[in-house]
Amino acid sequence: MAGIVGGIDVGSLCTKVVLLNGNRNILAYKIIRSGASYQGAAEASFNEVLATANLGLADINYIVSTGYGRARVSFAHNHVTEITCHGRGAKSIFPQVRMVIDIGGQDSKVIYVNEDGRPVNFIMNDKCAAGTGRFLEVMAGALEVDLDEMGELSFRAHTEAKVSNMCTVFAETEVISLLAQGSDKADIAAGIYEAIARRITGMIGQLGTKEPVVMTGGVAKGKGMVRALEKKLGITLLIPPEPQIIGALGAAIIATEQ
Amino acid sequence: MEEKKSEERKFKLNRLETTKLMGPWVDEHWASIRVAKAQGKKIAWSIGPLFPFAYAMGITCHFYAGYAAYCGGRKGVPPILEAAEAGGQIIDTCSYHRLHLGMIDAIEKNIPIKEDVLQPIPDLILCGRLCPEHSQIGDSLFRRLKVPAITLDLPPPQKEEDLKPLENYAKRQCYEVVIPQLEEFCGRKFNYDRLSEILAVLKKAAMIRNECWKFFERIPSPWTLWDYAVSIAPVFYLMGQQRSIDYYQQLLDELKQRAGQGISAIAPEERFRVYWDGWIPWTFLGTIMRKLVSFGANPIVGRYPWEFFPHPEHIDPERPVDTLIEQWYSYRMATGSSPEFFQHSLAEWIEQYSLDGLIMYASRTCRVWNLGELDIIDDIERKYGIPGIVIEADMIDPKFFSEAQIDIRLQALFEMIEARRKRKR
Repeated sequence: MAGIVGGIDVGSLCTKVVLLNGNRNILAYKIIRSGASYQGAAEASFNEVLATANLGLADINYIVSTGYGRARVSFAHNHVTEITCHGRGAKSIFPQVRMVIDIGGQDSKVIYVNEDGRPVNFIMNDKCAAGTGRFLEVMAGALEVDLDEMGELSFRAHTEAKVSNMCTVFAETEVISLLAQGSDKADIAAGIYEAIARRITGMIGQLGTKEPVVMTGGVAKGKGMVRALEKKLGITLLIPPEPQIIGALGAAIIATEQ
Repeated sequence: MEEKKSEERKFKLNRLETTKLMGPWVDEHWASIRVAKAQGKKIAWSIGPLFPFAYAMGITCHFYAGYAAYCGGRKGVPPILEAAEAGGQIIDTCSYHRLHLGMIDAIEKNIPIKEDVLQPIPDLILCGRLCPEHSQIGDSLFRRLKVPAITLDLPPPQKEEDLKPLENYAKRQCYEVVIPQLEEFCGRKFNYDRLSEILAVLKKAAMIRNECWKFFERIPSPWTLWDYAVSIAPVFYLMGQQRSIDYYQQLLDELKQRAGQGISAIAPEERFRVYWDGWIPWTFLGTIMRKLVSFGANPIVGRYPWEFFPHPEHIDPERPVDTLIEQWYSYRMATGSSPEFFQHSLAEWIEQYSLDGLIMYASRTCRVWNLGELDIIDDIERKYGIPGIVIEADMIDPKFFSEAQIDIRLQALFEMIEARRKRKR
């Protein structure tokens, strides 16, 4: 078994770092905004997690990077896609997992894994922010609430307002129109989650649902989103205690195998 | 922070010597069209595969798709597409067509573009309509240029029973429309003998090309699909030249030599053998090849590149028009874009070429080759346990090419293949 290892997930919105000890227990983790410099975010987050664990870089035996900015982490020994890392990370928490829904800042993925947690297939959204964390941020901005509030709001909805556009720009306009028509904010919030759930369900429809299903990524922290997806899919999703670090956790697990 | 070196293995591409002959040859071809126009000769633009008829009549002919591929390879695309968009063209339409509309705009409005990719405005439009958009392209050029247009419908078949009726329909159009209108344009009888000569040379070149294809079955493969992609012109728009036979003979000799010495196209080892679906990414050949090579991956075989006279043994130069049309239907040049016909071939190719994975290159502005790609991946995955990915970009338009999006999909594909290999061990 390796000594202390690190996994770093440089995402388009947030950078996440996890340190594991030789027994694959989490020593420390950190989540910061990525900002405009992936290299800068990687260094800052890693320095912060080292300080939290009272360690230096020399104490880390192996580092694996993942995420959109994975190739920008100069101090990583290897880089692996977030598709593999989310599978491995989810497997470490829910050993029976067969499918992972990861809704990140810039893209959404459905990952099918085998009994080892290794990916056997995946589907990703296309080149836009539809159905992603960034989409939710923009919609929350249009409703003038933060993401947590938007989730709470959706639970007070009487009905789901129809948000038909998945283009972030057009959907924002649609939300503004709904507000102008006097629609209830709660109904609009529920409609936004329903729209994303519809899109994710469409992606899953290409290859089918394989349970148990784990949801990872920052969006999994939002109760409104989880509820909308569960309703649409007709299943119960397994949510890790900190879903946003699952990619980094998977990277760290891969680092233990080096 | 201290920089640590990646432990990734380094791979490199062993380029073939023969394919280096193609660059000067295609430069010469496209320059010859500029020279012909400057000498006052009439030139044609051929959308789709009508150029053999022009060649038979001695008309200098520019092949639409061939030019787009050339322009992409010569990095001439962006300013011409910008000229088209400045002229009001919508970016979602066929990038090959926008490229030509941009060329017309650039010439008419004196917008500077590179001399080596400049092509003159035609005096004749030949439109072989293989897809719905081809029809619109022919009409659009006719409205814009007001020069004669001769069209031939080549509808893609969807099932076996379609082949003969469509073949007969295309033959009748040749005899009743294309040839009479060409004769009227030229003021002389159609030269069947010259078409026979062209097809006789094409047959020899394509027969040798088929021998070259067999080398893709070898592990490791001595060449890549990209090597073949840049060698398509001699069996298509450069057809009928003795040089095309010489080229393929030299290529075959080099492949035999490499195979004899055990030389792999990807050094030091070929780790992955992948199938490439959809268009060849002409503007991005080098970029994508570098990405593939960094994983030790070799694109081995593809649906589109296999479209060009895959059964030359059936070419009968004594019946030049009929045999040409039969190549499209009876001998399957027009069936490649139909998923119904195609899945059968891919199933054979999985074993024949020892494929590890599928890459479906979906072109944003030409969907004809993308029909059913997800279904094909799903079907092949279930039957053969081989994973696949879809990359969305374009044949030539860099606006639709996102490297980060492609990188993650490629890396994930090779991680999936590795994961499956580990389970088998």
